[in-house]
Amino acid sequence: MEELTPSQNNWLKKVWFSLRIPFLAIIFALLVGAIILLVSGANPLEAYWQLFKGAFGSLRNFQRVLEKSTPLIFAGLAVALGFKAGLFNIGAQGQLLLGALMAGFVGFSLKGLPPYIHIPLGLLTGLLTGALFAGIPGLLRAYSGAHEVISTIMLNYVAINLSDYFSEGPWKDRSPGNIVSRLPAIQPSAEIPNIGPVPVGFIVAVLTALLIWFVINRTTFGFEINSVGLNPHASKYAGMRTKLLIVAAMVVSGALAGVGGAVETMGVVGRFQPGFNTGLGFDGITVALLARNNPIAVILSSLFLGAMKGGANTMQFYANVPNEIIDIIQGTMLLFVTAEMVIRWIFKLRKQQGTEITVTSGWGQR
Amino acid sequence: MKKRLYSILAILLVAGLLLGACTPKEPVAEPVVEQPVEQPVEKPVEEPAKTFKVGLVTDVGVVDDKNFNQATWEGVVAAQEELGFEAKYIETKDAKDYDANIQLFVDEGFDVIVTVGFALGEATINAAKANPGVAFIGVDQFQGEEVPGVAGLIFDEALSGVLAGVLAANLTESKTIAAVLGTDLVPPVVNYNRGYVGGAKWVDPEIDVISTYHPGGMDVAFTDPEWGASTAKQAIEQGADIVFAAAGNTGNGALIETAQHEGLFCIGVDTDQWLTVPEAHKCLISSATKDITLSVVELIKLAYEGKFPAGNYVGGSSLAPFHDFESMVTDEIREKLKEALEAYNAGKIELPDK
Repeated sequence: MEELTPSQNNWLKKVWFSLRIPFLAIIFALLVGAIILLVSGANPLEAYWQLFKGAFGSLRNFQRVLEKSTPLIFAGLAVALGFKAGLFNIGAQGQLLLGALMAGFVGFSLKGLPPYIHIPLGLLTGLLTGALFAGIPGLLRAYSGAHEVISTIMLNYVAINLSDYFSEGPWKDRSPGNIVSRLPAIQPSAEIPNIGPVPVGFIVAVLTALLIWFVINRTTFGFEINSVGLNPHASKYAGMRTKLLIVAAMVVSGALAGVGGAVETMGVVGRFQPGFNTGLGFDGITVALLARNNPIAVILSSLFLGAMKGGANTMQFYANVPNEIIDIIQGTMLLFVTAEMVIRWIFKLRKQQGTEITVTSGWGQR
Repeated sequence: MKKRLYSILAILLVAGLLLGACTPKEPVAEPVVEQPVEQPVEKPVEEPAKTFKVGLVTDVGVVDDKNFNQATWEGVVAAQEELGFEAKYIETKDAKDYDANIQLFVDEGFDVIVTVGFALGEATINAAKANPGVAFIGVDQFQGEEVPGVAGLIFDEALSGVLAGVLAANLTESKTIAAVLGTDLVPPVVNYNRGYVGGAKWVDPEIDVISTYHPGGMDVAFTDPEWGASTAKQAIEQGADIVFAAAGNTGNGALIETAQHEGLFCIGVDTDQWLTVPEAHKCLISSATKDITLSVVELIKLAYEGKFPAGNYVGGSSLAPFHDFESMVTDEIREKLKEALEAYNAGKIELPDK
């Protein structure tokens, strides 16, 4: 969305032009949520106020918002980077899961390491796991034409079953009294600390987003990824090695998701346990679409979703509203972001050149 | 240049968010946090109803799940009707919110916090250590070591099994009874069978028990009613006239199959299956149940009276009502069941290993 037409020199206007769709989608989704709340007999203002308090009412709550935003930033970046290259990485969930699993393994099994070695090692393990696992659909896409949507969906199940196997089998927490499938707790040396209320993992996530923004907008690799996403044929004619680029984009995307899983294991959960990473990769799709694949905006949309997730239980507790309402709001938002046409039609917005994004190429376009 | 402006704006927005969050809100916005009531021990009768509060945190899922969450909440409500206190539940949506959800109740000064399911065990123990004076009831949470303020509610499936076995042994005419079981990978299922066989043999060592475990893994053992039905049928063909089904939905298949045969009895498991499997009314004489609801009421009462225990609390095991078969269960059999309970508690009923 950076390619704005030169005639419009009022930058504020431009920011509005690129932000208006997500912004209006959020407003509209909140309105839909309010109507549903009203119909079900709750007071929407009270509910939203409690939601806000639950997210920002205390330092402890705010820390939870940051904790919940962190994996969303990584997953959102993973999906956004895929979109840039014209790839729809639905496998972020599986890549994140395996990254979380392997970081959990490195976290509990290696003993006696100092934190400044153990933590980076855990993150690196998550990164490599996610990268390798995403490499599979990347290679399949580039060299056999198997569509990544199908292969990543299927590989998500592979990831779920692999992590279940290791949590119940060879790596199971055998401590007395434990009956559930999970890995042992990670060593204290592998725990990612907090600075005040700010988890270090969140800082890493923000820095990663800035790095990805730089890579996409300021490097040859980023330019090539963009070109392949916009027009693979032209890119090929221009001499780019498109197949290699597709694999590379998937690998980097998977690496991002994998680090996200590792941060989750080492910074929040404290061990790998099935069921604790549910849906994070899929939320990454919402985040990326809401941010319109802009890495900086990914931070904002993650914070927004994280705040809703963090405040949900307070809303349920004090306003007596079932927290499924959050899912409804998130779903509605996604609907409006993807169905730009609807928003345009409702608000009679003019179409503007240069703000269009290609989410992914359709079936069989390549 | 424009790109840079855009990103600067984005960064400013993030910073604004961070700052906005860090500045304290107006005092009105803060929820009024009551000091947790230390112990309701010393002042029992003088209006304890106003200060006593019981909260429940579900496992990931809903409160009306026809399972542990629901049975536990029903216990809270039953105790509330009897004692008249404030009760509230919160449904957990994300497993990472266990601690935060417990904390909401702690912040509001709840006296008793009930957490449902083994998965909440760690969060419950941590919260208890941080908040002495609050009573935690952990349903299905085996306590490896005793933590003050935490009562882990667990169940003795072998005892339920013994009662079912004694009932079966007293009703059988063919001296052959059967058990259709979920996988032997799950200890509670094995314990049900150990009790069933032990109880039957305690009544009459000559009785033949045909126990069959589902051969599949965890993923199918409890969701295979066809296997349950065919296994029950096989046992019936071998002369069994009573079928005990301890296998979830697989067991329901066995119950329904047994109901197709005239004059046979079947016994359900965990909850009163008269209410959940109406198709088996023709044979369902009773169910070997875990009294989650009743045990929760007991524990809340103990907390109310200031006698809250710590460590493992073994909840009641019993047979569900006999419903249409009340008249079939003679006083003699009822007497025998009482006797069996005493004998079991005295360790006088021998249980097989499997």
